[in-house]
Parts: sequence; C-alpha cells; structure tokens
Amino acid sequence: MHDATILRLTSIDKSYSLGRVLVRALSRVDLEIARGEFTALTGPSGSGKTTLLNLIGCIDKPDSGAIELDGRDITAVPLHRLVHLRRDLLGYIFQTFNLVPVLTAWENVEYPLQLRNVPRRERRERVGRWLEEVGLLAQAKQRPDQLSGGQRQRVAIARAMVGEPQLVVADEPTANLDSDTAAHILELLADINTRTGCTFVFSTHDPALVARARRVIAMHDGRIAPLARAA
Amino acid sequence: MLNLAVRNVFRNRRRSAITIAVIVFGAVGLILFGGYKATTFRGLRESTIRGRIGHLQIFPRPADAGLTDVASLRRTIESDSRVQSTAAQITLMGLISNGEKSESFMATAVEPEKDRAMKAQKLIAGTDLPSTELDAVLLGAGLAKSMKAKPGDFLTLMTTTKSGSLNAIDVRVAGVFATGVKEFDERAVKMPILGAQQLLQTTSVEKLLVLLGNTDDTDAVRRDIERRFPQLDLKSWSQLAPFYHQVVLLFNGIFGFLGLIVFAVVIFSVANTVVMSIFERTREIGTLMAIGTSRARIWRMFFLEGMLIGLIGGLAGLAVAALLAALINNGNVMLPPPPGYTVGYHLKILLQPQILITSFLISLVTATLSSILPALRASRMKVVDALGHI
Repeated sequence: MHDATILRLTSIDKSYSLGRVLVRALSRVDLEIARGEFTALTGPSGSGKTTLLNLIGCIDKPDSGAIELDGRDITAVPLHRLVHLRRDLLGYIFQTFNLVPVLTAWENVEYPLQLRNVPRRERRERVGRWLEEVGLLAQAKQRPDQLSGGQRQRVAIARAMVGEPQLVVADEPTANLDSDTAAHILELLADINTRTGCTFVFSTHDPALVARARRVIAMHDGRIAPLARAA
Repeated sequence: MLNLAVRNVFRNRRRSAITIAVIVFGAVGLILFGGYKATTFRGLRESTIRGRIGHLQIFPRPADAGLTDVASLRRTIESDSRVQSTAAQITLMGLISNGEKSESFMATAVEPEKDRAMKAQKLIAGTDLPSTELDAVLLGAGLAKSMKAKPGDFLTLMTTTKSGSLNAIDVRVAGVFATGVKEFDERAVKMPILGAQQLLQTTSVEKLLVLLGNTDDTDAVRRDIERRFPQLDLKSWSQLAPFYHQVVLLFNGIFGFLGLIVFAVVIFSVANTVVMSIFERTREIGTLMAIGTSRARIWRMFFLEGMLIGLIGGLAGLAVAALLAALINNGNVMLPPPPGYTVGYHLKILLQPQILITSFLISLVTATLSSILPALRASRMKVVDALGHI
C-alpha cells in the first residue's frame, strides 16, 4: 500500500554563493505533494522555483532539512547515489527541451529504457506507444534539429514518460514555445496526468498553465507564500 | 553506447578530422621510420655477414695456434644442409711500400674463389683475385690512391712471420675495391690465402668462416658445431659486429624518441578534442545525468569516444603508411652516403608486422589514455551546474 504523499520536504534551507554574495534561495520550506497532483510553482524570477525543483528532482541537495521521496528518506544520500531513483522514479522536462542532438526522436525516447536494460521488444512497444501519444510517430526518425520547438518538447515529454515515472518535474516547460503550441503542450501534460495518475510538479510564469493547475504554490523570496491554492 | 559514441565522434567533423589527421601523421611517421630502420638493420646485417664476417667464425684454442686440419673440419661442417659454404681466412698487418713511400696495411687473406662468391667488395678497377696467382692483391681505394698504385703495378708487403722474423714479398695489384667505409679502404688489402701463408711462413689458417643459407639458423648451427668440436672456439656474427649493434642502438634510440614525440602530440590533440567536446556538451551531460545516467556511463561514453578516434586514426595510419611505403619502394629514392661511407643507397621501407602493430597500438592506447582524465572530469560534474552551463 503506497503512502498518499509522494514527496515531503521538511524545513528546507538552501543557499548558494554568487561571487562573494551568499544568496538564500530557499528558507524553511515545508511542502507535501500527494500522488497524482498536477501542481504549479509560480513566482517571480529568483523566488526559488528552480532551486526547489532541483531538490524535488534529486539533482541538488539542501543545506538543511529533510526530503522524503516515495517513502524513502533521501536527505543523507549523496547525489550520485540517487541516480537509480532519478532513473526509475522521476521524469524530467526542461525549458530548453535538452534532447540529445545526435539521436533521432525515437532514440531520444528510447534512451531512458536502455539505461534500465529494458528488453528490445518492450522498448520498441513503449517508445512507439509514447511517440504516438505525443503525436510524433511519423517524425520518429528525425533528429531534434529537424523538429519544431513544440515537437521537440513533445519528444521530451515522451522521454520523460516512457519510463513510467511516479513524479515528473518540469522547469518552465512552455516558456520557449508560442502560445498556441504552449496550450497544446499544456493540454497534453494535463491529459497524461489524468490518464496515468502520474504526479506533475512544474514551474511556470504562464497564467494559462497556472489556471490549469489543480494546485498552485506561489513562491516569494525563497519561501512558500500563504496564497497557495489547493485543488 | 557505442552507437552514441560513434555519432558524437562525427558530431564536429572538422575537429575530429584534424585530430584523426594528427594521429595518422604520427602513425605514418612511426611506420615509415620503423620500416626504414628494419631495412637498414637487415641490409647492414646481411652485408656484414655475407661480405665480411660470415655467420660463424671457428678459431683454434688457443687462438694463435692456427687451424691445421682445415679440409676435414670443412667437410664435416659443410655436410650440414643449413651451411651454404665455408671459407678459410687469415688476417695480418704490416707495411706496404711502392719503393718511394710506405703505409701500414691490414690484409685479409682469403680463398679467391670463395671471396668472389661472397661479393665482399665492389671493384672499381682491375679484376678480382685470380684463383692460381699467389702474389696478386686487391687494394682498398684509399690505399691505392695513397700508394699511387693501379692494376698491374708491383708493390712490396712486409710483415713479421709466425716465428717472429721479418719477411717480405712482392705483389702485383690485380684490382682496386671500395667497401664504402673510408677508414677501412685506406688500409685494406686482400690477398690469396696461399700467398699470406707464404709471407707468414705457415701452413695453418687463422679461422674458418661459416656461411649459412638463413641467418636465423645461426644459434642452432653454432650449438651443433660446439657439440661436435668441443676443442674449438666459435664466435657468432653478433659477437663480431659491434658496428651493427651501435647502429641498432642509435636507430632504436631515435625510434624511441620519435615515438615519445608522437605519444605527446597525440595525447594533447585527443585530450584537447575530448575537453572541447565536453565543454560544448556540458548541458547535455547534465541532462543525461538528470534522467538517470550514471557517472560510470558518462565516463565510458567519453572514454569510448577517445578510443574510437585512436582506432580510426590508427587504422587510417596503417593504410596511408602502406601506400606511402609502396610509393617509396617503387620510386627508386636514393639517400646520400651515411657518415663514414662514400656511397649512397636506395631508400627502402620494410613493413614488418611488429612495426605495424606497435604503431597502431601506440595510436590507439595513447588516444584512449588521453581521454581518461577529461572523461573523469565530465563524469564528476554537478548536475545542477552542468544544466545551468551556457
């Protein structure tokens, strides 16, 4: 029986130095994300959204506080030992798509499955299914530079989803797209969330995306602002 | 993984092509110099053996006793099918005079017909030693010039006999020869062994040269002769050819130095390529790590890329070197005389498997080694920093 909470952050502090200046990125942040949530992190630039997403995505460590992911306390686990967790439990969608340029759309989506040593036949089935989900099966053999921004982000979504993650972290997933494409991507993410029950946490400035979120967490100066809205 | 590495190698084609070209140049340099070295070693070895010292030399014990029953010794040794021929020799020193001036000489007394067969020297005037004439001699070019002697002239050779008294004979200059070694040609005399025996007042010979069909049989034949004639001393060509060993040492030193330069150039070139590639792909490395690629896999990826560059460069180096070697060998390229020699020689490249394998391995191993540290650096990147890299 799974805990209903997939992620629990307790009293998180995080600072980093910018030259000689110490920037306090997060201050005493407490946050719980339930399974299946479609949560938006909003706030002005520098409010700590990306830092918080980095901690949620297990690619950075807090200075203090505790992180529990899928029932496991990962606070003291070094980052390089979290690689299996990132591979098996998490999915990533980046603002700049971050596809591997020398791989085709198909190969980009297939890559996470190769990391997990998924057998070839199963890989073929899952990659095909997800490329079809995002409407890019016809462009499977094209490389990222032959695709539009929206198409690239769809490939990135398929890459994030093909491993059937528990939690998808998306940093400004529509920021580099025009409004129509952004709306389609948003529709796609919300649809996947509804159908698969996969948890989504994304940062955004986009009011349309915020409007579609079932929970909005507003950040300000490294803290979660009190106006947080639950679904 | 391999597929990804191959594509990454050809991602920046111009840079990879330059790096591969550097490796090819290095490998070609090593192979051609190695091939030239091999030709020189073999040529020098065979000319030294077949023209002067033989594969083995048999001496009496003690050395100054002289070999007396040469005919029966020769029969036994020549019955071995690996033995091509045997030749008796005496070496002696003394003074040579034309009536006006005297010079010291070093004579090698030989069996004329054997000497002709060995083609030991290049005649530049006159004829070889005749089989029957006891007082005919050949002079080295430098000595002939110094004595102002030409074929047909008469000179006097003077030396001490076996018993210690002085003896002299008049000799006729049959021909003038050049070995290419200036200092040797200024003192060299060749004379029939019977003439030398008459001059030294002896019936024995100093040593018996053994010539083999194949130089590789030297040690085996030596063991057989030693077993059958334990009372005799044997020396192999390797013991009698210090100049050959000096040349080998010198060339091996140059080859090693060249190898070191190639090693350094390839190290820096490949390391630079991998470092540049890592710098350009920092954000990609961050992405790959964020989606679950382990440090070890990132390291392997860049390591494999360095190895592939070395593999392609090494193989291309073999092909280009083989092509150039064929062109040089068919191109009749003449080299100037080396120090101490008076004649030049053809440039030939001998492509020995050992040199090809060594050069290929140097290219491959060096390129692979030089990618280790950059690859390690890539695998140690912090994901957040790498993702934020512009």
